[in-house]
Amino acid sequence: MSYLELDGLAKSYGEIAAVHDFNLKVEKGEFVSLLGPSGCGKTTTLRIIAGFEKPDLGMVRLDGLDITAVPAHQRGMGMVFQAYALFPNMTAWGNVAFGLRVSKRDSDYIERRTHELLELVGLAAEGQKYPGELSGGQQQRVALARALAIEPKVLLLDEPLSALDAVVRVSLRQEIRRIQTQLGITTVYVTHDQEEALSISDRVVVMRQAEIEQIGTPIDIYTSPRTHFVATFIGTTTQFEGVLEDKVLGRVRCADIVLSVGTNAGMAVENGDPVIVFVRPEAIQIAQPGEQIEADNMLTATLQAVTLLGPVIRLSLTSGGLDLVADVNTNERSRFTRGETVLLHFPAEACRVMQNIPA
Amino acid sequence: MKQRSLVGPLSIILFLAYMFLPILATYVFSIAIRWDRSILPEGLTFDWYRTAFQDRWFLIVFKHSITISAASVLVSALLIVPTAYWVHLKLPRALPLLNLISTLPFAIPAVVLALGLIKLYGQGPLQLARTPAMLVLAYVIFTLPFMYRPIASSLEAIDIQRLTEAAQSLGASWPRTLVQVILPNILPGILSGGLLVFATIFGEFTLATLLVGARYKTFPMQLVYYTRRDGRIASAYSVISFTVAWATSLVILWVATWGTRRSAGPRTAQDLTRKQASVGGKV
Repeated sequence: MSYLELDGLAKSYGEIAAVHDFNLKVEKGEFVSLLGPSGCGKTTTLRIIAGFEKPDLGMVRLDGLDITAVPAHQRGMGMVFQAYALFPNMTAWGNVAFGLRVSKRDSDYIERRTHELLELVGLAAEGQKYPGELSGGQQQRVALARALAIEPKVLLLDEPLSALDAVVRVSLRQEIRRIQTQLGITTVYVTHDQEEALSISDRVVVMRQAEIEQIGTPIDIYTSPRTHFVATFIGTTTQFEGVLEDKVLGRVRCADIVLSVGTNAGMAVENGDPVIVFVRPEAIQIAQPGEQIEADNMLTATLQAVTLLGPVIRLSLTSGGLDLVADVNTNERSRFTRGETVLLHFPAEACRVMQNIPA
Repeated sequence: MKQRSLVGPLSIILFLAYMFLPILATYVFSIAIRWDRSILPEGLTFDWYRTAFQDRWFLIVFKHSITISAASVLVSALLIVPTAYWVHLKLPRALPLLNLISTLPFAIPAVVLALGLIKLYGQGPLQLARTPAMLVLAYVIFTLPFMYRPIASSLEAIDIQRLTEAAQSLGASWPRTLVQVILPNILPGILSGGLLVFATIFGEFTLATLLVGARYKTFPMQLVYYTRRDGRIASAYSVISFTVAWATSLVILWVATWGTRRSAGPRTAQDLTRKQASVGGKV
């Protein structure tokens, strides 16, 4: 039995299904992210866990107890919102102490605990400031401290970093993970930002159109996407459309080239099926001029554009009408000039084959 | 160019004269010995104020008006704050209806409202007709727009949905959320609504006369009584009534600026130190 269990959750607004047949088990101390584009049902799911929404069907179980009918204020779940939702009439200190006062803890404990939490989020000196006097990042830290003060059974975060600028976003997300690990608190985190989800979660639930597409560890989700949506939504990928020629040898024909895709066990396609082959940009390598290459797949391509992304540069290439994307180390940037012809190669294991179901 | 620049100041002077001359005249009349035979008053005196204050009815009607106004503000706030909160939070689709209802009193003449209420409550189990309680209830209806609008704007200015959910997730029940989280944040709206209602009711004559009349004399009734006897004493009453209304308006203005200062984001260093000084006792 898992700590938090969501069993067959469903919720519709009128004709529109927000969540459909949602099943998830979260272990104690685990950090799980719900990831998907806006309108995929991730926030609704979180709100059902929090008790702000009643599911039409299904059950929420916490530590073995059915809490589906328990009102939000009796669930003991800490919630952090995208728009902070700090109480404007209270100082940072007052906000953090609020939940403790509601639960009628003695004043010594409230004093100590509030201070402890403000210290944990690095705002011990800002306790007497009102939310309007704090930056967005500081406000969200206060909101985090406020949610944690009541020692919640589960910490729920609804796009907590979306309103912040890029630098604060990255540092705060690392801090959220640090605090979560330190406290060992079971956490459900909602985001539409794949980088965020992949970088801080133990497991990621990818959602689309009210349904779960895939549940897995971040590396699973990234390297072994199970659906076309997951493969394209997470990260960047090159797609080759073709026909499976030989399932045993792992051969896919794409126009006038044949790709060696390996023999992926459990590949749910048969010979003659239309398929898509996905290859991640970091798996594609560019040969040095004159280098002798032994690789499963080799293509000559024309370099169309070079984009600096920071640690890597992204090469946009075309080969016989196919568009490809490859990432190489930024140190190697001097090697590439636009318009030149290069030899690229990638191993069979880098290919992910899926049936091509026309939309 | 020169001609054009005269239009502005001239229109302002005209406007001010239109607004303030009658009031100024009332002030002067209330301290004039006589002002009906000459262009300028024939000497000044405070006798009419003395007469007004010495009238044995003065304190009674003043107290009655204050009581009725304050009671109406209280009933109105108790009725409207939870309703407006609940509708904004849970029934946003009912908002247009609530907005419509809250403007209806503008469309109903006081006489019609009074007659309707007398007809409705004159019989049956609730014998409220001609009691001050009924007057209070009528005033709550009559001043609904004044109370509802500022409260609704305050509710719209804060994210009550998120604030409510945040409070709930921290274990707070509905009543507690309303009192400790929502109320402090819409207080400027409640106060300015309350003061508008207070000032309106303090000078209201029609409903008071029709609904309770001489059984519970209010300040404006006494004022009207004096207009038939001595206009100078009536003027003194008017000036006192103005003063009450203006004092409340000043408080409204003060509350309104206080409200905007609080809800504004980061403010000046001066403000910060003031605020910090005022909360310095904590911890």
